[in-house]
Amino acid sequence: MLRKEQGDLLTRTGPGTPAGTLFRSYWIPALLASELPDNDCPPVRVKLLSERLLAFRDSKGRLGLIDEFCAHRGVSLWFGRNEEDGLRCPYHGWKYDYTGQCIEVPSEPVESGFCKKIKLKSYPLIERGGVLWTYMGPAGQQPPLPEWEFAQVPPGQTFTSKRIQESNWLQAMEGGIDSSHVSFLHRGELNTDPLFRGARANQYNLRDSRPVFEVVESAGGLLIGARREADDGNYYWRITQWVMPSFTMIAPRGNHPVHGHFWIPIDDENCWTWSFDYHPTRALTAEEVKAMRDGKGIHVKYVPGTFRPLANKDNDYLIDREAQKAGRTFSGVEGIAMQDASLQESMGPIVDRTKENLVSTDNGIIMARHRLLRTIKAMMDGKTATPPGVDVEHQRVRSAAVVLPPDKPFIDAAKEALTVRAGTAHASV
Amino acid sequence: MTMQSESARAASASEALFRIDDPNSRPRAIKVIALDRESEAVVKRLARSGWTNASFLIAPAGDPPRGERFSMNGWLSDLAGQTLDLVDEIDKSDLVVMIATAGSNTETASIIGEACSLKRVMTTALVLAEPTVPDAALSRSLSQLRPWALMLVVASAEDYIADMLTALRA
Repeated sequence: MLRKEQGDLLTRTGPGTPAGTLFRSYWIPALLASELPDNDCPPVRVKLLSERLLAFRDSKGRLGLIDEFCAHRGVSLWFGRNEEDGLRCPYHGWKYDYTGQCIEVPSEPVESGFCKKIKLKSYPLIERGGVLWTYMGPAGQQPPLPEWEFAQVPPGQTFTSKRIQESNWLQAMEGGIDSSHVSFLHRGELNTDPLFRGARANQYNLRDSRPVFEVVESAGGLLIGARREADDGNYYWRITQWVMPSFTMIAPRGNHPVHGHFWIPIDDENCWTWSFDYHPTRALTAEEVKAMRDGKGIHVKYVPGTFRPLANKDNDYLIDREAQKAGRTFSGVEGIAMQDASLQESMGPIVDRTKENLVSTDNGIIMARHRLLRTIKAMMDGKTATPPGVDVEHQRVRSAAVVLPPDKPFIDAAKEALTVRAGTAHASV
Repeated sequence: MTMQSESARAASASEALFRIDDPNSRPRAIKVIALDRESEAVVKRLARSGWTNASFLIAPAGDPPRGERFSMNGWLSDLAGQTLDLVDEIDKSDLVVMIATAGSNTETASIIGEACSLKRVMTTALVLAEPTVPDAALSRSLSQLRPWALMLVVASAEDYIADMLTALRA
């Protein structure tokens, strides 16, 4: 349970809100690089943290993320002409460069310098790992560029997708650190999904549906260990990473790629679910990439031409009661991503946490909220301007799956496995 | 115009206004037990906040008692020093939260854990570990607690306990 005012504090991320200020401390994923494939390609509308923006790549390849609307009469610059180092409003020809600076007002004499007085709000936009990242905080406090491993490995070793989720970011993110639902909601996929099946550890998951949890604070967020019975009296540990404010990395299975998410607020009732899969030491196979494009694993199929999942609330998530009854899927919804999203969206745009009844296995969620609230309060009180997760050391983390003797704590035994070691595969079972 | 699906309509903010507003749970009894002297001080501070569904107890510090003469009667005590029967207390609880300080001897968790196992009561252990605590000391506490806790949490600040109890409707 959270008090209403605590819930409001965590879920509202628009300009000037405390949680919005927190998100504006980080480089966050804004677009796939493939959305702006060429110089002078069409601009793309982007809504992030309740701000309407427009992304474009100019004639020299420079990336801009600017206020969507022309300063003259409020026209959406999505209709603009992207040409000759700028974006020109089609209404009266005002033109803006990638920083949002107006560089031409055709109706005014050039000598007047009027255009220099017009500048749209803009944010830096950089490309890294096939993702365009932005920083929406104060210019003087821009953090070091992101160093997440999935965005650092060679392009052939990584795959990233994004989808719209029609709920607040927090209830989506909390699903990513809730390890106990896997044995129920996703049990149908462990032995069938091409990006999960075949791992020895899947049987440990299916055999033991009552894992024991350990939650440990890390420098950047949390480590959440779920312990199940393995063979010969040993324990099978799945260790999830959560790095503030909304990065999660799920424990890998076998030699499959390792995957994780970012949940980034679009506004208070919608968020982007970013999903990445990568392998630290080998290229993804053609079969793996095809499976990801086909919506397997943590990815989805789309409504053509959009980032909206094909199974969505307007078609009741294509729920198949026969598949549910036959046990092919636990909830009747197909695919891991939409099994999660359908339930999280069913809570309503912003779930009322005053009504929930958490149990002790929810300590991962409780601790994540606690750390977020503690950090937000410290920022509001002026005690810190650099929250956990900004430091690139906090980003050099991995999830891990390991089998350990019963007397070995995972935080000691898996310490190396939980940090990025270039050229070394992730620890997996 | 196409008709909205049932899921789309049901998940809208306007439909949220029609959710049942009655309480959906009954109070649960939570026992918070300090396992060492440092955590006893923490539990005493915590108890001052005035909880509705939590009670605060102290286990004797040090090694657990052994031998036939050991009795669970009077083994625990409340914050006023009044002795209590462990099994009775466990029997009246829905959740037992054991509080320990990293590096301290938390072997008494085995007595509480066995009683909880007997009575099928959920256990959570919370270890307070400041960032300066050596790994070995934390590991020792964790290994003593692990067999007896179905949920084990390592927290760097004691205010987490209050947040956890609030979240659990204590």
